[in-house]
Amino acid sequence: MSGTPFLTAVARIITRHKLYNIRLHTSSYTAMALTQVSSNKCFDGFQKVFEHDSTELKCKMRFGIYLPPKAEGGKCPVLYWLSGLTCTEQNFITKAGSQQEAAEHGIIIVCPDTSPRGCNIEGEDESWDFGTGAGFYVNATEDQWKVNYRMYSYITEELPHLISSNFPADSERMSISGHSMGGHGALICALKNPGKYKSVSAFAPICNPMQCPWGQKAFNGYLGSDKSKWESYDATVLVSAYSGPQLDILIDQGRDDQFLAAGQLLPDNFIAACTEKKIPVVFRLQQGYDHSYYFVCSFISNHIKHHAKYLNA
Amino acid sequence: MSNEDVEAIPPSSSPAMLDETTKEYLFSTDDGILSKASAEAHVPTAHLDIGPEGLSFYNMDLYESRERLDIFTEELSSSRTEDEQFTAIEDSNESRPRTEEEEYDLYTAEVSEMARQYGIWDDKEEMEMGFQTQDPFVMVTQKQEPAVQGIKTWGEEPVKGEPKEGGAGEKRDSIHKTPAVDEGGSMEHHEPCYPSEGDEPQSHKQYVGQRQYSEEAFEEEEWEEEGSQPMKASRGDTQIGEFVGFSAKTQEDLTMDMDNPEDGFRASEHTHDLEEGQPGSQAGGEDEVPDVFCMECKIAIRAFDKVFGSHKDHQVTKLSIAAEDTKVEIHKTMCKLEEQIAQMENFASHLEEIFITVEENFGRQEQNLEQHYNEVIQTLTQRYEEKTSGLEDEKKQKLEKLYSQLVNCGKTLDISKDLIEAAQEICRNEDKLAFLQVAVPTVERIEEYTASDPDLKLSASLEFENDAIDFSDVRQMMDSINIVPAPSAPVINPQTPNSSTSTSVRVCWSLFSDDTVEYYELYYKPVLEGTTADENEEQDASMVEVKETYCTVLNLVPNTQYEFWVTALNTTGISPASERAVYMTVPSPPVIKKKLCRSCPNAALIRWESGNTNPVDSYTVELCEISRERSETAVTESIVGIPSYESIIQLLSGRSYLIYVRAVNIGGPSERSDPVVIYTTGTFFRLNEDTAHPSLAISEDGFTMFYGDEYTELNDITFSDNTFSRCVAIMGELIPIRGKHYWEVEVEEHTEYRLGVAYEDTQRNGYLGANNTSWCMRHVMTPSRHKYEFLHNGSTPDIRITMHPKRIGVSLDYETGKLAFFNTDLSQHIYTYKCHFLHYVHPCFALEKPGALTVHNGIEAPEYITFS
Repeated sequence: MSGTPFLTAVARIITRHKLYNIRLHTSSYTAMALTQVSSNKCFDGFQKVFEHDSTELKCKMRFGIYLPPKAEGGKCPVLYWLSGLTCTEQNFITKAGSQQEAAEHGIIIVCPDTSPRGCNIEGEDESWDFGTGAGFYVNATEDQWKVNYRMYSYITEELPHLISSNFPADSERMSISGHSMGGHGALICALKNPGKYKSVSAFAPICNPMQCPWGQKAFNGYLGSDKSKWESYDATVLVSAYSGPQLDILIDQGRDDQFLAAGQLLPDNFIAACTEKKIPVVFRLQQGYDHSYYFVCSFISNHIKHHAKYLNA
Repeated sequence: MSNEDVEAIPPSSSPAMLDETTKEYLFSTDDGILSKASAEAHVPTAHLDIGPEGLSFYNMDLYESRERLDIFTEELSSSRTEDEQFTAIEDSNESRPRTEEEEYDLYTAEVSEMARQYGIWDDKEEMEMGFQTQDPFVMVTQKQEPAVQGIKTWGEEPVKGEPKEGGAGEKRDSIHKTPAVDEGGSMEHHEPCYPSEGDEPQSHKQYVGQRQYSEEAFEEEEWEEEGSQPMKASRGDTQIGEFVGFSAKTQEDLTMDMDNPEDGFRASEHTHDLEEGQPGSQAGGEDEVPDVFCMECKIAIRAFDKVFGSHKDHQVTKLSIAAEDTKVEIHKTMCKLEEQIAQMENFASHLEEIFITVEENFGRQEQNLEQHYNEVIQTLTQRYEEKTSGLEDEKKQKLEKLYSQLVNCGKTLDISKDLIEAAQEICRNEDKLAFLQVAVPTVERIEEYTASDPDLKLSASLEFENDAIDFSDVRQMMDSINIVPAPSAPVINPQTPNSSTSTSVRVCWSLFSDDTVEYYELYYKPVLEGTTADENEEQDASMVEVKETYCTVLNLVPNTQYEFWVTALNTTGISPASERAVYMTVPSPPVIKKKLCRSCPNAALIRWESGNTNPVDSYTVELCEISRERSETAVTESIVGIPSYESIIQLLSGRSYLIYVRAVNIGGPSERSDPVVIYTTGTFFRLNEDTAHPSLAISEDGFTMFYGDEYTELNDITFSDNTFSRCVAIMGELIPIRGKHYWEVEVEEHTEYRLGVAYEDTQRNGYLGANNTSWCMRHVMTPSRHKYEFLHNGSTPDIRITMHPKRIGVSLDYETGKLAFFNTDLSQHIYTYKCHFLHYVHPCFALEKPGALTVHNGIEAPEYITFS
């Protein structure tokens, strides 16, 4: 993982000249330069935003990172937070109020954007639930999207390397969480990479995208009409194939969530699958809560504790 | 005497070194002789090693200084006469005639002065040196008079060799002088020490002799023949006489020390003279020095004799060893004597005490006797006076009566005679008429008179009226003269701490020292509460006869007050009873109610029964921490003065404790109760079966509950106030500590249950979780799924769990107000209540359908519960 000048140079060249056909060794991810966009002291740590040129997404990407005070003295575990539809890196860091609990438990929270931006793909800004702000954490296979829309690889590969090589992050201790589409992202990342994440949790996740309008639209767009391809990005389907270290999944769901009623989230399917496969899930249907960040910030500390239990064990 | 010996001395005897030098000087002399004689390399330090022995021996003498000094003082004046020869020295002691006290004072003053100046042991060391160096000298003497030596050396015939020694001394003196002069420098330096030496060699010699003698006298057994006539005279005396020499010498030394700071050196030089002289004189006679010691003849012999002489077959040993052995032996004997002296002293002081006591007793007895006799004599005198006066009165009375009777008789006689004369007169009358006129009244008179018989009885009795004298009381008094008085009432002591057990008390009393007591009668009876004093009086008291002034009374009832009083008896009679003292037996040990004890990581609640029928004052709880080695440690903590039957004890977490309880009353603490073992690994509680719903069966160990299949008619069941009547539930008894608690519950996958906590007074006729006094997790099976509810006040959040816990961890934290549930198999956090517990809560458990549920507690809380 060394950022040698040579590799740095190569990476830059590749990025600048979009030499798509050259697949680089993973270590090349780490070589990219970070630009600090903002830095604010928060609960004795720092809430920062960085910009970098993503090799996976072939565009400038921003991410938020909260560095707890404990990070000044040593490596800290990292919680990746995946936001929902239409969100940027800003929503979570400004609305969720996660910093206090993160500071207390000494957890770095990395909060990436939800899709590539400014890739000038036709139709990317047409709707709020597809394209920009709706990457769905998949690696697109459709020609139009497959170059830039590689959010799955970005989240699971490029970003972790970037973080561990630029921040005092312990790459052995990672957890993942998310909200709505990000909840879906968190679940599939955890289920597709047994052991990579110590724990997983989700707020109102899209549990079974193949069965809901949002999922169907996105998968159809990014992956094509072949539903067998969709299965590898559907948490409910992935659960039945999961084998690996025991997961402890915490899911909070607002009972008054309009998307729950609209059948976009389908947690029951996921719970049924987990019950079937004896995968431990605590699903809390929170009375009166909706889909907003007001709901998220109400329970974010529970989730951070949940992750801290495994990250700090 | 060889010149080498003398020459060898001066270098080591540097005058500046004083006592230290003295020591070396003497050793070197000794050494010189020895090495010469036995041809063995003898290191001076070997003698130094011997030193302490001699020192201790000397010390022992000093310890009894008082007596010794007394003796010294007495003899001081006599020794003085001998000392008069040393005029030059003794001039410093002025006024000769002194009282003994003065002498003593002077002596002690000098001693203390010396002790201050040089340290008391300087003197002693010097003495020791003399002692050290005597052995070879003795050997030489023996050599000279082989026939006598064997005996004489050991002190049985001390006198014989003396004249010869005197000669030797003289010889020595002259020999010494020569090298001293020759040597010049160092030896000349010593010259001022001997003011008399040059002018009066004779006196010096005597001085030497005396000094030497004193050392030997001190040594008691090794008598040394030496010097002058005065010496001889004193030697002929008893043991005390020997100390004369010592005291004289000491005094002299002291005097000289005052005059001349180099006195210590001087004294040693005298010794040196002596030592030197001996071998010298011997060398003059025969050229043979004994080099071995015959064990059987107890004399020193030459090695030659061992091989060829009369000691041929005898066992021999080295001279130095023999000397040492002998010294050890002497030392032993000394020790024995010291012991005997000590014993005798003890005995003497004891005798003295007895003497005084006996004297006092007899004095008292005499007084007593005198008093009694005086009383008797007084009584007799009084009795005599009474009797004599009585007799006198009687005599007077009787005589008066007789006299008056006599007088009356005379009167009657006179009247009769007159009548006769009158009758005769009338008869002589011639005139008939006149006769008749006169005769008739006369005859009437005579008849009248004669009609009354004369009283011829004695008016006074001739018998003595009170001739019997009663001496019985006097006799009794006489009898009582020789009898000791009856004792006075003893004084009974109040109860002292730790003097009683649950069934016995030790009672103590004391008597007046004047009393003679043969034995005591100790009476006692229990003080029964709730009875009047009169009723109490009616009880019969028990009695024991005791010879001592204390008694341990057995077979009493625990935790009971007893009244004790004591009388003293002797042959004369019985004393009045002492005051009554109340003693109390300590209580029986309490009984810990182990089933009611509870604990948590930082405290334990211990409950017990009194074990006594009467109330006790308080209880004491004792803790012993059990270390990992399982060895029971001592009591680490005691909590005293607990008035109730339970106590919460603060403990450290993760330890094991043995906890005992004692009951305490004024008599003291009881024995320990049987211990209860408390582990502070986790929270430990038991189920309160009083609260159990009648349908609920509890296992023998008390931790598993069963809800049977059989249908029970609710009408048949009687409910107590404390029993859950609606919910088939039971409540545990948690220790009332507002800390953190954790326990686990084991269930089957399909068991339908409620478990959680509730206030102690939660409604018994409601369902757990249906009210605001209980919080509980509920598991029910719906046709479609397992349903988990977290009920409080009848409502629950909607929580779904994909894995059905078989072992549920319950964590209660009063401080944060959290009640959390976990699937312990997965370390999965299921739900946390946030609430403020106003009162203490207790675990509660309920079964909704037939099934079983087991409580596990005393478990250490897992770490993950903190992330809830």
